[in-house]
This record gives sequence, structure tokens and C-alpha cells, in this order.
Amino acid sequence: MRERITFVQRLGDALDPSVLQIAGGVISGPEIAAAREDRLTFATDEFPDELWLLLRGIHQLHIRWASADAYEAVSPFLSRLPPGFHAFLTPESKSYTESPKLCAILADIFGKLDCSTPAESFTSLPHDRFSHSTSLQYYHPLDDLSHFIRYAKEKLCPPADASCVTRVDSLAKASSLDISYDEISHALKVTATWPYQRQPVQVTSRPPFRTEVGILSADKPQTLEPHELGISGLLTVLGQDPEPKPTLFSFASRHRDAESAFSVKWMEPTGLHPTLQIRLDSNTLPKEADGAFCSPHAYLTLPRGVFADKYQLSDGLFLASKNLTALRYTSQPVDLEAPEYAMKRWGSAILVELTPPKETEGKEAWTAEIPLHLRYLSPAEGGYAGLKVPYPVVFWACAAEEGTKFPNNPFERANLGYDGLFGPRTVFWHVEPRPEGNSLMTTLNVPVLDLAKSQHVNVGTAIAVLLGFAWAAWKLFGVFATSGYGREEGSKAKTGKKPSEDKKKQ
Amino acid sequence: MAKRSTESRPSAEGRPSEKSTVSISASPSSSFLNSFFSTPTPLYLSAAALRIILLVYGLWQDANSPVKYTDIDYLVFTDAARFVSRGKSPYARETYRYTPLLAWLLLPTTWRTNPTSHVLDTALFSSGKVMFAVADLVAGWLIERVLITHSRMDAATARKYAAIWLLNPMVATISTRGSSEGLLGVLVMALLWAVLSRKITLAGLLLGFGVHFKIYPFIYAPSIVWWLDHHSTAGLAGKSLAGRMRGFVTPARLRLAVVSLATFIALNVVMFYLYGGPFLVHTYFHHVTRIDHRHNFSPYNIQLYLASAFPTQSGLRIESVAFLPQLLLSCVLIPLVMAKKDLPTAMLAQTFAFVAFNKVCTSQYFLWYMVFLPLYLPRSSFLRNKTLGMSALVLWVVSQGLWLQQGYELEFLGRSTFLPGLWLTSLGFFLVNCWILGIIISDVGAPSSKL
Repeated sequence: MRERITFVQRLGDALDPSVLQIAGGVISGPEIAAAREDRLTFATDEFPDELWLLLRGIHQLHIRWASADAYEAVSPFLSRLPPGFHAFLTPESKSYTESPKLCAILADIFGKLDCSTPAESFTSLPHDRFSHSTSLQYYHPLDDLSHFIRYAKEKLCPPADASCVTRVDSLAKASSLDISYDEISHALKVTATWPYQRQPVQVTSRPPFRTEVGILSADKPQTLEPHELGISGLLTVLGQDPEPKPTLFSFASRHRDAESAFSVKWMEPTGLHPTLQIRLDSNTLPKEADGAFCSPHAYLTLPRGVFADKYQLSDGLFLASKNLTALRYTSQPVDLEAPEYAMKRWGSAILVELTPPKETEGKEAWTAEIPLHLRYLSPAEGGYAGLKVPYPVVFWACAAEEGTKFPNNPFERANLGYDGLFGPRTVFWHVEPRPEGNSLMTTLNVPVLDLAKSQHVNVGTAIAVLLGFAWAAWKLFGVFATSGYGREEGSKAKTGKKPSEDKKKQ
Repeated sequence: MAKRSTESRPSAEGRPSEKSTVSISASPSSSFLNSFFSTPTPLYLSAAALRIILLVYGLWQDANSPVKYTDIDYLVFTDAARFVSRGKSPYARETYRYTPLLAWLLLPTTWRTNPTSHVLDTALFSSGKVMFAVADLVAGWLIERVLITHSRMDAATARKYAAIWLLNPMVATISTRGSSEGLLGVLVMALLWAVLSRKITLAGLLLGFGVHFKIYPFIYAPSIVWWLDHHSTAGLAGKSLAGRMRGFVTPARLRLAVVSLATFIALNVVMFYLYGGPFLVHTYFHHVTRIDHRHNFSPYNIQLYLASAFPTQSGLRIESVAFLPQLLLSCVLIPLVMAKKDLPTAMLAQTFAFVAFNKVCTSQYFLWYMVFLPLYLPRSSFLRNKTLGMSALVLWVVSQGLWLQQGYELEFLGRSTFLPGLWLTSLGFFLVNCWILGIIISDVGAPSSKL
């Protein structure tokens, strides 16, 4: 196992190396305001058995979890995901997707996920477009990592290892957790990040494992190119370096900060066709993005209770009236009719290109509206059910210059769902979600059949239908009794086909 | 007796017409109205004008408003036609649940001019709506023919009644918005006309085609078969059951059965050969397995929502026996009692019962029975007794309105009106429909001497 722990402070908040103490594989220092990222890399032979079972038959598996607590991103941890549990999978064979194994193990690790098999519950990604994306996608609005924390403490921490338990517990406050496996590197990477906050610098190495600690801050050296991020600070390999080594480096980053914010709200009344309004506080990008062709996008992961109708989102006038340019992508398949409780697929992901107002002198706030449709949800007491819908990810996608290489970024993060929908040289300028409260998870109040009032439905319906039937049948009998089934002849009982009378005669 | 009836056939519904003519023209109708109906041109021109105005208005609204005049279904049909034009299956378009024939018929909507002419392209895209609108007019003309030839009505009066269909804004709106129900109207009316004119082979072709197109016209098979040769069971009273059976199987009935079945099967074999499983799944099986119970007028709707969410409920399941009252009425009892007396009214009652008792019921289905109204109304107690007629119309509209109001609150305001609102109003509308059905049935039995 290798471990890399990075504290990142804001631009200009450099730490004086003299306040750090390094001794016996421990680094400690004062409390600083920083974001933190822990990256653990495991070799295949270090996996617990259950993980082995999970990963056999898989080319690539990327699990991404993002917290619903709003946070301010710190460079270079700028990428974003809709809050909840995401999984991106490339299996070795089709048969793997028909087994419930993956879903069962994921549920064992992360808690109830509402997934049966990848074939039934996952959606396909357009893997033919760009080779770097995975083939199947899954999402669930998972609120927290409490189940994962319990699982990790029981199954992954060595017995009586208090520090392991403490570190796992700290995931309760993490803003994201990534677990990535790919068959080629034969390694499992676990990356957790914590939001910008005051925290002590305190890391203990775990021999024989290598632990590298970086205490960095964003930097803007003179030589910085517009497409690059700069970082400077101190790097220490615990148990190896007697003192921190100063460092300064820059790299091209796929994810950038648009230095603006957005919020969403459901337009009232929501009805059965809710519209998500996205309110952006700026129609411009930082000057570093100048010259590139950029357009704003929203990427939504919609749990199966709500969906977008791609046919509705194909009319130019309609799109323009909502400040939308086009629906660029929708996962397949999306059933346009089935009720929520009859579906096994997780839901759908859509990518919508937004239409910003024409560039003006200063910043201009603007809105875009995404019309969606609700499915029928299961009947419930009270007549309403809450449907959790995560905040979208909103970004300006810009084409980067030829020859830009993102993998040089030590903080590179890929397989986020939307990155695979763009070409490999796209830069995402992220707009920060800034909800009114603190939560990035919205709740739609969906009218459903009120179970408390449903006790007479079966009997009442049956009575009404029988009543209607009996009335019509009675009228038919009346006609039959007076004139039989035969042809009307102007007066009664003249024809030879009067069964009622014939029978009486017999 | 039998001989005389053969001669006078098919005048089953002939006699009352003169009376009703009197009752209608006795009203203080202006000379304008009389001259309007005295020749065909004014009626058909205004019916066409109504549709042209709606079509052009629809094009304007579609081009200028984000709220579209064109029905979603029309986009489904034309998308499917586009798939067909590229050599693909029409079922590549999600929610296309119709025969491929419809997509084929709409192939002109996929044609484009070269060099591009926007006006012509728009006209080409709208050609399907034009076809549906023309189908309306032809259905109206067939109504007029049936009234003149078989109800022995004078032409002006026949046109007056045909106007109920031809100038009906609901009918004109539905077809110009691009819904295919107008095609059903002309098919079914042509079927009736063919049967009444004893064009058996044509009737068989139309019946087989109609069932292939939209399934529900199968309900007309029993009434047509029963009506055909209705004198042939005469004199069979004393015969054995086997004898009666032999007597029942007449050449005409046999021909109708063979031709309609052959048409239906041939069309399905061809479509299955061309488009395989998806054709069967989307055109037929979907209607059996569908669970998309979005609110509609059906009395079963709320019950089906409840049942589909809890599929393991024990006991007798209403949804599995719901077809019994529907099919018993529309395919057995109504044909048996009514068909020989008055075939058009029997078909109206069948359709009315089929729609009212159906597990899914939307306002487009109302068109299915509206096409028969001009044939039934002349001798109906609704026109004879104005109070009854107005009450029925008001009740039908109001009970529908009450449901629509509940539906609006649910759909657009997000209020949970499933229970009791939507449920009770759907049952109310259903019971009003059943009451109206009862009157239609009684009218057929009522001896014309009552007039």
C-alpha cells in the first residue's frame, strides 16, 4: 500500500516549514485552514477476499460518492459530481452483468442501493465515442457513508487498530470518496477529500507502507500558462525525509473554477411535470478561458421517479423558451411511461447545453429551465411522497488547445459521467453549487394515491362497474323481453324468429 | 313474412326518418339553414374550410409558440415514418404502438424538397394531417350515404345529421392536430356502409384491416355476422341444434369470416415477417401487459394503480376479470339483442360500452362512437325529448368536466386528488355513460309507434 496525504491551502496561505515537526514517522504542525485529500493505493494481493470477488470479471470499476453538503472547492480539487453514489463499470463479459453479485456486494458495503443486476439496473454509456469512458453507469441518491464506515471498520481495519478506526470515522465528514480499480494497473485507488476547514496537520505513517505528505497551496508563478494550475508548498515522505522539501509545479488541469455560482429550485407548482430552474450568477468566464470556444452545460443524474423527454427537448422554439440550446445526451433506455415502482433501472443521466445571455459589460445573472416529468410513485399514507433529486453539475465546457496533456496532473480525476461525453481535450470550468440551505439534495413533493383513503377502492369500483353493467344488461333484457333478438318489424311478434315466445310455446 | 322482409331490407331503420325530419325542420330554422343543407357543396366546403383554418392556425402556433398545437402522437408517427424511410423499423421510435401501415401511409411527411423550399417542406410534413382531415370528410360523406340509402332520409336532412360529425370542432381539432383516430372513423363507417350495401368481400377486407389497425373494431364482427342474413334463422325454430347451426352458417357469413380473417392474418404475417417481434409486442401485446396507468377516464384507473403497486394482493383481482363485463356487453349481449334490429345503433352501443368499460379511456376514444351519432340521433329519444337530450349532454359534459378539474389539480398543481376526487369523478362519468347507454339500448327496442 502507498499513501499520499495532501493539505491544500488557499492562494497565498503558505505555511512556514519551521512550524512543522517531523519525527519517528510522524509529521505534526499547527491548525491550518485547508482542504485535505487522502489517496491510498492498494496492490491486488492486499485486497480482502470480498473485494476480490467483486473485482473478478471486471475491466474497470469506478465508484464515486459525493456528499450532499455544499462546499467551496479549493484548487486543484475542482471537479464536481451530483451528490450521491455513482458507479461506472466496464465488465469483461456480458454474463457478468447478468449476475446479482456486484449489486449484492455493493449493497453490503454501501448500504441499500436498489440495484438488482448491472444488466437490469445500470444504464449504458456511449463507450464507442471516446475510448476513455466506461460502458455502464449506476446512480443512487445515497445520503451518507455511515454504512461504508461501519463496513470498513469491521472488515478492513486490522483488529484493535484504533488509528484505522479513527481515520475511517473521519469519512463521515468527507466531501467525496472515490474507489477506482482497473485491471491493467492491478491496483485499487481509494481517494477521499474533505472540504476546506480548519484542521491540525497531523499524520502518522504506517510502516512498512510509504506515506507521502504534501502541505501545499495554490500558486500563480510568473511562468504559469493560462491553461495551467500552479501549486507550491512542502512535500515529505515520512520516515525517509528528515525535513520537508519545498516544491513548486504547474500542470494542465481538466477541471477549473469558473469563479461563479448557481442554485436550483423547482418552479411552483411542480405538478406531475416539474421544471428545474437553474439560476447562474454570471454569464462570463475568467479571462484564462479567453479565446476558447466555451458553452455552459448542466449534467443531471435523475433517479427513476423523474425523467426528461428527449422528444420534447428536440423542438428549437421550446428549448429557446427555456434558455436551452440542446439536449446533448440522455442515457438509454428511458421508459417514457412506466410507473416508478415497476422499473429496475436506476434512472437516467442527461446532459443539457444551456444558452447564456449575450456577453455584456459586467456579469449578468441568468436562468435556464429544464422541464422534466414524474412517474407514478408507490401509493403512500398521506397522499404525497418525497422524491430526492440531486443538484446537477453545472460547468462551461471549453475546447483546450492541441497537445494539452491532462494525465500529468497529479490530482487528475476522471470517470465522472459527464467527462466521457466530451472529447479528451475538453476543460470543465465548474460553477459552484450554492444552495439556499446547505444541502445539494432537493426533494420533490410528488402526489401519490393516498393509502389511508384506499380501503374502499376495490369494493367501490366493483360496485360501480356491476351497477353500470346491470343497468345496461337490464335495458337489454327489456328490449329482449318485448321484441326478442330479432329484427324490428313494426309490430310485435310477427316474425318467425322470436325465441322468447318460441321457447314458451315449446 | 320472411320474403317481405327480404325485399324491404335493408331498411331496418328506415321508417322513423320522415317523422324526425319533421321534428327537426319544424323548429324555427331559418331559410339559410335549409339552403345550407340543400346541396352538398356548402356543408363539405365549410367542413374543409374549418379544417384548413385549424391546420394553418396549427402551423402558425407551432412556429411561434413553445406550446405546440400538433399532437405528440403526430411526432411519434412521423418519427416512425422517418425510420421507415431509412429502411429501419418504425418500432425504433419509442412509444410507436401502431401498425407499420400507419408509418408507411405517412412516408410523404418525410419527403423534402431539393432545392429546399420551406413552405413545401412544411406542407409535406403536414400531409399526414391533411390525410386525417380528408378521412374525416370521407367519413362524413359515408354517413350521408348511409342515412340516404339505408335510413331512407332525404339528402338535405341526411347532411344536417352528417354535419354533427363534419362540423364538429372536436373531430376537426383531433384530426388536424395529427391524431390518427379520424382514419378509424372512415374505416368503421366504410365497414358499415359496405355491410348495409351487402358488399360482403369489401366488408371483410375492411373488418380485417380495421382490427389489424386498431384492434377494437373486432367488436363489430359479432353484430355484423348476426345481422347478415337475419331472415335465415327464420323457420328454424323447430329444428335441432345441429340444424340451427347449419342454418346459421350462410354463404355471406362464411365469406365475411374468411375474408376478414384472411386479411387480418395476412397483414400480420407480412408485418411480422418485415418487423418481427417488436411488431407483435408494440402493436398487440403492449395493450395486454401495459401498466402505465396514468390517470384517465376509466373507472378502473385508480384500482389499477393500487393493484399494480401491490401485485401480490390476494383474493379476486378486479383487473383480471375487468374484460368480462366489457366484452360480454360489447361483443355478446348488445350484438345479440340489437344488431338485427338496428345495426348502426348496435355498433354505436357496442363502441360506447367498449369505451366506457375499458381499462384505459381517453377523450380520443370518444371519437370512436361519435362517428355513429348522426346515424342514431334521428330516431333517438334524446332528440324527441329535448329535456332528456339536454340532460344527457349536460351530464356527459359536466361529469367529464368534474374529472378534468380533478385531473388538472393533480397534473398541474400537484395535489393528490387520486382519492377520492379522481376516483369518484371517474365512477360518476362512468355511471353517466352507462345511463346514456341504457337509453340508446331502449331506443332500439322502443317500437317506432311510440314516435
